[in-house]
Formats: sequence, structure tokens, C-alpha cells
Amino acid sequence: MLIIRFFLNLLIVCSPFLLFSQSSNKQLNEVLKKKEIEFKNELNFSKASNFFIKKNWDSTLVSSMKQLNINKNKELADYCHFFRGYSFIEKKLFKEAKFELNLISKKFTFYSLVNKNLGDASIELKEFEKAIIYFKKIEKLKSLNQQGLKISLIYQNLGICHLHLNDFIKAEEYLFKSLEILEIEKDIINLFCIYNDIANLYYIQYKDQQAIPYFEKAYDLSKKTVDFDIKRKASLNMSVVEENKGNFKKALFYRKESAQWKDSLNNQSKIWALADYEKKFAVAQKQKQIKVLEVENELKNAQRNTLFFSAIGLLLILTGGVYLYAQKVKNGKTILRQKNKLDELNATKDQLFSIVSHDLRSSVNALKNSNSKLSATLENKNYDELNHLIIQNSSIANGTYSLLDNLLHWALLQTKQLYFHKESVHLYSVVQQIEYNYKPLLLDKSITFENSVSKNIFLFVDLDSLKIVFRNLLDNAIKFSNENGQITFSANETDSDFCQVIIQDTGIGMNENTIKELLYEGELLAKKGNSEIIGTGLGLQLCKQMIKKNSGTFNIESELNKGTKMILTFPKTK
Amino acid sequence: MDNINVLIIEDTLEQSDELVKVLLDNNYNVAGVAANYTDALKLFYEKPVDIIIIDVFLDGKPDGITFAESINIIPHASKPFVFLTSSQDRQIFERAKLTRPFSFLMKPFNELEILYALEMAVEKFYEQTNVFLSEEQNTVISNDSLFIKKKNSLKKVALEDILYIEVEERYCNIITEKEKFVILISLTKISDLLDKNKFIKTHRNTIVNTDKIEEIILADNLIILKGNHKINLSDTYKDFIKKMNILS
Repeated sequence: MLIIRFFLNLLIVCSPFLLFSQSSNKQLNEVLKKKEIEFKNELNFSKASNFFIKKNWDSTLVSSMKQLNINKNKELADYCHFFRGYSFIEKKLFKEAKFELNLISKKFTFYSLVNKNLGDASIELKEFEKAIIYFKKIEKLKSLNQQGLKISLIYQNLGICHLHLNDFIKAEEYLFKSLEILEIEKDIINLFCIYNDIANLYYIQYKDQQAIPYFEKAYDLSKKTVDFDIKRKASLNMSVVEENKGNFKKALFYRKESAQWKDSLNNQSKIWALADYEKKFAVAQKQKQIKVLEVENELKNAQRNTLFFSAIGLLLILTGGVYLYAQKVKNGKTILRQKNKLDELNATKDQLFSIVSHDLRSSVNALKNSNSKLSATLENKNYDELNHLIIQNSSIANGTYSLLDNLLHWALLQTKQLYFHKESVHLYSVVQQIEYNYKPLLLDKSITFENSVSKNIFLFVDLDSLKIVFRNLLDNAIKFSNENGQITFSANETDSDFCQVIIQDTGIGMNENTIKELLYEGELLAKKGNSEIIGTGLGLQLCKQMIKKNSGTFNIESELNKGTKMILTFPKTK
Repeated sequence: MDNINVLIIEDTLEQSDELVKVLLDNNYNVAGVAANYTDALKLFYEKPVDIIIIDVFLDGKPDGITFAESINIIPHASKPFVFLTSSQDRQIFERAKLTRPFSFLMKPFNELEILYALEMAVEKFYEQTNVFLSEEQNTVISNDSLFIKKKNSLKKVALEDILYIEVEERYCNIITEKEKFVILISLTKISDLLDKNKFIKTHRNTIVNTDKIEEIILADNLIILKGNHKINLSDTYKDFIKKMNILS
């Protein structure tokens, strides 16, 4: 009988203990959160308190140990010890819990909580006397409620302790104090516990008459709750009471009720387990979904990246293409330009060839005709005519020669084969030398030639190219002069570096257009007019190039029917 | 005053004949006409030569240039020369150019061109340019002769023939044993160009060839030269006597 009663007691003692953890934590948690902010830098402390709030006891133990190893801050150390003590209690390691809780200094804010826990641990270790000492310490404090401690619970525990020590009078006193408070608070669960405790108290003393109403009260109360365990306990207690009374029928009824509640409890546990399993399953599902989403996201990212890079690639290719196309167009343009220039040059050359060959043909033909005339005249012994013909022949030969000479020089100049060497040249002598070759022609046309160049002028030029220039210009001057005309070579020293050479004739002159055409800077030769005396234009072209090569300038002043002035400048010898 | 001796190296008879004619017409002596390289060298060493006219191509080979190169190597033997060429081929010119001093004449040429080329060759060879054609000077002085332009041609006077030189403004009277003539050159130039050990100033405007001194009469301030030419000796210029090896 006693064994059964004791068994019941154990059941009941557990209940208030479990209940405590829910009520007191709210206040503690708030303080902890504040502390976390205060000790932001203490990573392990924040972790430990976080785990504590989340009731993750193992992690709390580890983190708080780490914190204790690193930090010597007393306040934090107290908190850590508290975490550890509490966690040990939750892990049912009561001795370790007591050890940890005893390490906490008395200045700790929640010291009453510490005492409470020490008391609880002592109860669990069946050190009821020690537990009583701890609870009494709390009882003396007045501000219990502020720390989330219920005085009713303390009284209840004190009562239980006394009960276990068989100090029934004190137990009764405390239990009734607790009952008083609980009845005001109408805390059904605790009330149920206290009823049971009181009932047990009386029952142990065999005061069945006093015990039974409390059991019944507890049973009535249990009907009001939905907690199957409480219902089961109440029924079980009732059945034991009835059994002891000998009322087996009722006992059986209560026992059955208890079994029913137990089944319900089991069912509920199953349902909870199922619900838990479902929850886990749902979480797993969600996790899977998240993973799928993540993978999708990654895929999308990859796609986007591929798209982006391919877009850039395309853009680059496009730019490159455009650039290449532009280059091609540019090259095409250059080639076209060069082609046009080449065509032009080729045309010039063709024109030159045709003109030159035509000129050559006609002069050689003239020579041929003249020669046959000559032999005919020789047969007739007409000596006057003979002389005339010889002079004519020589002039034709001279013209042809100068044409060929120009052609040769032009070709040399074009192929850059011409030897060119600047040296000091005596202008007067050169003019004399040139005139020497044209003496017969001048005489033939009765043209007066005057060399009014100062004998002290020395030019710094290439002698042969200067001769070519003078020869051509004199040739032209004679060609375009009328009989009894005059040709003058003169020179002015314009400045210290250059000297002006002027070749003046009193010939037919030319108009502005012709001058423009002659001075035009181009490869093309002047077009041959219909007049027979206009030549290939090769001579003047050659002159311009030779003058340019000698770093000189060339200009023409002319008036129709009055004469032409060819003005050249050349560098002087220093 | 002597005529200038010209050596002609030309393989075309027609052209050499023309050259000879022009030269003779203008009072030049023709030292000889060589048609090939060997003959040319032979003539060059046998005959007195003052100027050489060289055709670049002899028998189609540029032996003319070879000849110029040959005489250029021997120091003090080289003489002024003129290349004749009908081609303005650059390659040939690049080679010919190396035989400094280089002057050339393009074929065909007329009389004036030939004479001008000869004068240029002398000027370039003795490095006294722009002399013959200017109005201030007509004489080029080599180490043994005076080249004087007279009308259209050049004349030569051996320095060793000169007794003394009298300077009158821009002119100089040259007195040799045989003749007396005037050249156009300034005193500073002539005294610069003449060998200072041989030609000595004895007076402000007199330069005397020391080889020709027969007697110096210090008491009368007189120098007596070969041919009994009497020259005044000014006090300022007496110092030269100290340098002379005086026979007592």
C-alpha cells in the first residue's frame, strides 16, 4: 500500500517542477536579449544565450564553456554558469547542475532563480533538507514575482519537501499557503497538483476522510482540463482511493477511465508524432522545393550569363565586322584612287608616246623627203637650192634631237635614274654655251640675242638640268618669236639667297588660260593645239620638274603679240 | 707664258678629232690622243700633261673611270681631268663621283662647253673655285704653276720662271726672264697661295722669287735679280735675309 502511495507522490512532485520552466523564462529572456546587445563583441556569450532561449541545451553547454574559457568578466561568467546549471537540470544531470549553480556569485541578478534551481536539483537528488534551506532563502525575499517566481510554487515545493521528510504539520502549512494563493490565481494545473499533494499528505497519514475530498476535487478539476495526463493521474488516484476503500467496482471504473485517458494520451502522442513527422516531411518537401528553386535559379543565372556573354560576343563580332568593312571600303577607295592616278599616268604616257612617235615620224619623214629633194637638186646642180635644203635638214635634225633629248631626260627623271649634283655654276657662261648651239637658228630668223647676265653671278644648281631648262626655254622663245625679234637673258639678285633669271622674248605671247595650263601642277601634258608650232608640252613639263628639283621657282608673264617673260629663281652659291 | 697640255683619252676618232680641233683653235696643246687605258697611262707618264679629258667608256667598258682611279692613287701625280659621257646613268656616275675632284661633260658638247669644263676642272682640282669666270680674278695657283685665263683659253706660267711680282691694286705684274704680263688677283690671295719660303715680300707691293736673287745690296736697299732686274728693298721686310744661307 505504501509503495503505491509513494509512487503517486513521485508523479505529482514532477509536475510543478516542469511547469516552472515556462513561467519564469519570459522575464529572463528579456534580460538576456539586453545583455546580448550589451556584450555584442562576446560571440560565444551571444551564442550561448541564443541557444538557451531556444532551449538547445547541448549547444548552450558548449558555447558557455567556450565563453568561460576565454572571458574573465564576472557578470558574463555568472550568466554562463547559470546557463550551464539550468542546462544540466534539463539534461537531468543534477549533481553537475548543483556544482555549476554554486559557482554563481551572490551578486547575480537572478540569484533567487539560482536558489530555486538549487532547490529543485536538491529535490531531485532527494536532499530534501538542503532543498528546504534553498527555498527558505527565496521565501524571505519580497520581490519574488518580479523575477517570474511564484511564491505559490515555492510554498508547494517546501510542502513537498516536508512531506517527504514526513514533517506533516509543516507540509500541511505550506501546502495550504500555496493552495490559498493558487485558488485566488485559479491556476488549474497547479491547483490540480496542490490538491493532489494535500490529498497525498492526508492519505499518507491515513486521514482518508480528509484526503478523499481533495482527491475528488482534483478529479473534478481534471475534468475541466484537456490534458490527458492530468485526467489519467486523477482517475488513477481515484481508482487507488476506491480500491483502498474496497469499492472495487468504482475502482475498476476509475482504472478503466485511467486506461482510457492513457490510450488517449498515447493516441495524442501518436498524433503528435504523426503531426511531427508530417511537419518534418513538409519541411523536407519545402527544403526540396527550395533546392529545386535554387537549382532553377542557378540555371537561370547561367542562362542569363550565357546570353549576356553571347550578346557581348555578337556585339564584338559586329563591331569587328563593321571595322573590317570600313577598312575594306577605305582600301577600296585607296585602290580606286591609285587606279585613277595610274590610269591618268598611263594616259599621259600613252599620249606622250603617240605625240612623240607622231612628231618623230613626221620629222624623220620630212628629213626623208628633204633628202630625196636634196639628191634631186644635186642632180640638177642647183647649188642655191642645195644650201637652203641643207639648212632645212639641219634644223629638222636639231628639232628631232632636242625632242629625243627631252624624252631621255624625262624618262630618267621619272625613273629616278638621273644623276643630280649641285655645284657652283657660272650663269653667264652657261647662257653663252646654250646660245652657242642656237646661233644658226637665231641667225636664220634674224633674232637678236642678248646675254645681259652679270658675270659675277654663280648659281648653286645641277649644271645639266639647268642647261636642259635653258635649252628648252630658248628653243620655245625662238619658236614663238617672229623674224627680227629679240631674246634677252637677264638676272636679278633678288635677295641674299636667290637669284632671278628672266628670259624675255618679243614673240607672239600667250593668253591667261595657256599660262594657267602650262603652270598647272600635274603629270598631264598640255594638250596639243591645232597649231603646228605647239609642241608636246614635254619640254615645259621637264623644265618645271628640273627647276623644282633645283629648289627654284618658275613663273610666266605674257602679253599676246607683245612677248613672254619666263621668270625663274635659283639658289645662289654662298 | 705657255700653252696648256691636254691629254685626250677617247676611243671614237670622230670625237677626238673634234676635240683636237677645238683645243688647237683655242691655243691649247694636245699632248696626245689615247684610245685605250694602256696607251693613256703610257702617254700620261711620257708627255707633259696639265689637264686630261677622259671618255668614261672605252670600247664599251668604263675604263675611263679606271684610268682616273689609277692616277688618283699616286700622290702628287694626278692632274685635273674632265670626264666625257653620253649617258646620265646613275650607276656610272656614282662610281665616277668617287674620283674626286669630279667634273664631267655631257656629250654632245660645243666649243664653249669644253672650254668651260676645262676651266672648272682646274679650279676644282686646285680648290680655288669661281676664279676664271669672275671679274675679280683670272689666275689659279698650283704648287708649280700659275694658270691664267687669257681670252677664251688658259695659259700656264711655271713658278720657277717668275723673277718677281709687282702688285698694283687688283692687278699683278708678273715678270719672268722672258716676258712681262698682267694677271688679275689680289695681293692677299697671291701671297697666301705662293710658297712663303720661296716667294718673299721685299716691299709693300713686291714679291720676289728668292731663287732668282743674285745680289742684295743692303747699303742701297737694293736687290739684284737674274737678268739684272733691280728691286727696292724696304726696311720693314729686311728680316728675310736672316733666314737665308749667306755665303760670305
